[in-house]
Amino acid sequence: MTNYGLVIDQERCIGCQACAVSCKQENNVPMGQFWNRVLTEGGDKIDTPSGGYPEDGGSGSLDMQYQPTACQHCENAPCVKVCPVNATYTRDDGIVEIDYDKCIGCRYCMAACPYNARVFNWDEPDHMPEEGTGDVAARPQGVVEKCTFCSHRVDEGLDPACVVNCPADARIFGDLDDEGSTVSKYINEYETDQLLEDRGTNPKTHYISGEMSPGRPQTSDKMESELDDVSPWSDGSEDVPAEASESDSSGSGGSHHSIEGDAAPHVPAVGSGGDD
Amino acid sequence: MAADSSRIAIPAFGTKGKLWLGLLATVIVAGLAAWGYQLTTGLVATGMRNVFSWGLYIMMFVLFVGLSAGGLIISSAPKFFHSHRYEGFARLGVLVSLACITVAGLLILPDIGRPERLYQFFTSPDFRSPMVWDFGIVILYGVLNLWYLWLLTRRDLAARGSPLALGVDDTADGRERDRTLMFWTAALALPTAVALHSVTGWIFATQIGRGDWFSPLVAPVFIAKALVSGLGLLLVVSVLADRLTNYEVDREELTSLGKILGVFLALHVVYLLAAERLPHAWANHFEFWAITSGFLIGESVYFWLWTVVGGAVPLVMLMTPSLRKRVSVIFTASLLAVFGTMFEGVRLVFTGYEVANIDLPPGISLGGEYAGITTDIWATAGAYTPTLVEVVVTLGIVAFGALIVTLGLKYVPIQRVDGQYATDGGTKERQ
Repeated sequence: MTNYGLVIDQERCIGCQACAVSCKQENNVPMGQFWNRVLTEGGDKIDTPSGGYPEDGGSGSLDMQYQPTACQHCENAPCVKVCPVNATYTRDDGIVEIDYDKCIGCRYCMAACPYNARVFNWDEPDHMPEEGTGDVAARPQGVVEKCTFCSHRVDEGLDPACVVNCPADARIFGDLDDEGSTVSKYINEYETDQLLEDRGTNPKTHYISGEMSPGRPQTSDKMESELDDVSPWSDGSEDVPAEASESDSSGSGGSHHSIEGDAAPHVPAVGSGGDD
Repeated sequence: MAADSSRIAIPAFGTKGKLWLGLLATVIVAGLAAWGYQLTTGLVATGMRNVFSWGLYIMMFVLFVGLSAGGLIISSAPKFFHSHRYEGFARLGVLVSLACITVAGLLILPDIGRPERLYQFFTSPDFRSPMVWDFGIVILYGVLNLWYLWLLTRRDLAARGSPLALGVDDTADGRERDRTLMFWTAALALPTAVALHSVTGWIFATQIGRGDWFSPLVAPVFIAKALVSGLGLLLVVSVLADRLTNYEVDREELTSLGKILGVFLALHVVYLLAAERLPHAWANHFEFWAITSGFLIGESVYFWLWTVVGGAVPLVMLMTPSLRKRVSVIFTASLLAVFGTMFEGVRLVFTGYEVANIDLPPGISLGGEYAGITTDIWATAGAYTPTLVEVVVTLGIVAFGALIVTLGLKYVPIQRVDGQYATDGGTKERQ
């Protein structure tokens, strides 16, 4: 079974908000609403550290980290269990999604979600430009909406927009049930946390903090399971960071082979000018 | 049987009665207009936003579900034990219960973003959802109240030739059958009432994401709250009906029910609240006095309105021997108990939304312009003030409940006059 999940490397995240903005654009998210937010762990304001400057006798304890936060796509999703009309449901591939035709707008799911990942269309949604953006139809007034892991893209074999548009390779999407997938390997390899683990929701979004992962250089905007050609991570026999350094070192020695090996991770397989 | 063996509380509306009806009609129309306005603009017309997504409608729903308890329990519990206690309150109690559960059910309508999709409850229900359970039990409870009120009054309706008797005749056999039916209805009504309040509590108590909602005590507290506020409202309405209509309240029974209200208040506001707060206060504090003050001192004005104005004050009034037999004292204490209970629901919703689990900046997008505490689209904590639209819609629905009670007093024989034990059949007592 496929069970999609997301790994977010908080050590790689640079807080650029590209995932938040590309999510809003790709999913036609109304003005005043965000499905995906990049939160600042540190000071009281966005992009503000806690602690003091290391000068004039200050503590030099400045500290800041980013926490990109969207729907966590929980295994034990409270929002799915509370929905009285089965409008919020878990797809066979693990994505928690909303059937906007069924949603009555009771907002019980918003009460249930411990992450405040859901937003409600309090009035007639406003889009900029008016005809909307991206590849998802606008939702009407009076329904709850949220991140879908870009299920419309996943169905086409594409990674979610936030993953493709992350310039820091901090977001990796893939199949948690496939032990060879990058998400599975990273969860095994690195120290990962889930948000509000004590609530027992068992999110399918995992956060790396502590040791930085090498990221996953984008070979294309397709999901790795859809790629025909051999990607650096495909055989899964070795651990990921070692493999990354290996392909680097082999590049310096070989001649013809080394060019391919070097180029593959960085050159998109499909034309540039993405569809988001 | 003669028609004057039963009493109609309002034989005909006088000037005051007509003014009252006019007032109710005005408030109902205003409520409908406000709801219409809210339907066109969307729920942006309310004070609710993404960070605080349930408001006045749900707070008042919680209150009115509780209020609907008193009448049905007071009239059915004695029936179940074949007692004739509080017979004078039986019909009025069920009438008040019916009005309150109707108000509670209607309060959900304006809270729903797309009420036209409510049919999904029937076509696509998820039986894991406590809201589906509550939907079922509220409807069952409403139907049960309607049936019970009719069962209690149909012989008198028949004797008066009222079309509300639905063609049933008043016969000795019929009364005997009604006695049996009343017993079984009472037997069904009691567990249904317990289920109604528990399930409404579980809507909140099952949620792990909203602070103190996730507590096994919520369901028992909802039952205690229903006993307090439901009985309180019944006493308020009965005293008002006694003063304003031909309904006559039995002083002895009123005093006795006042004492019971005191017991309910002690159970609810003293015992259950202490049971809920002590473990948290003990675990969170170290020094003896810190534990004690953490236990005794509440966190918001709603807490004090509920526990002191709606708890301690009426409790003292009902416990003081020199006071508790006075109708005015019972009336005031009951009114305060109902008033205070309102703030318990308010406080419950606030404890769920005030604090966000993840409150990192910039926060949660509000989803609409917000004229309250902040002016940007982000919030890291919940704040809520109901808008005029919400208040008017709520008042309109409450006025509809008052209209149900008023019309009930006009068209349903609310009391027997020929025998004390009349509503359970009355054949034996009338020798």
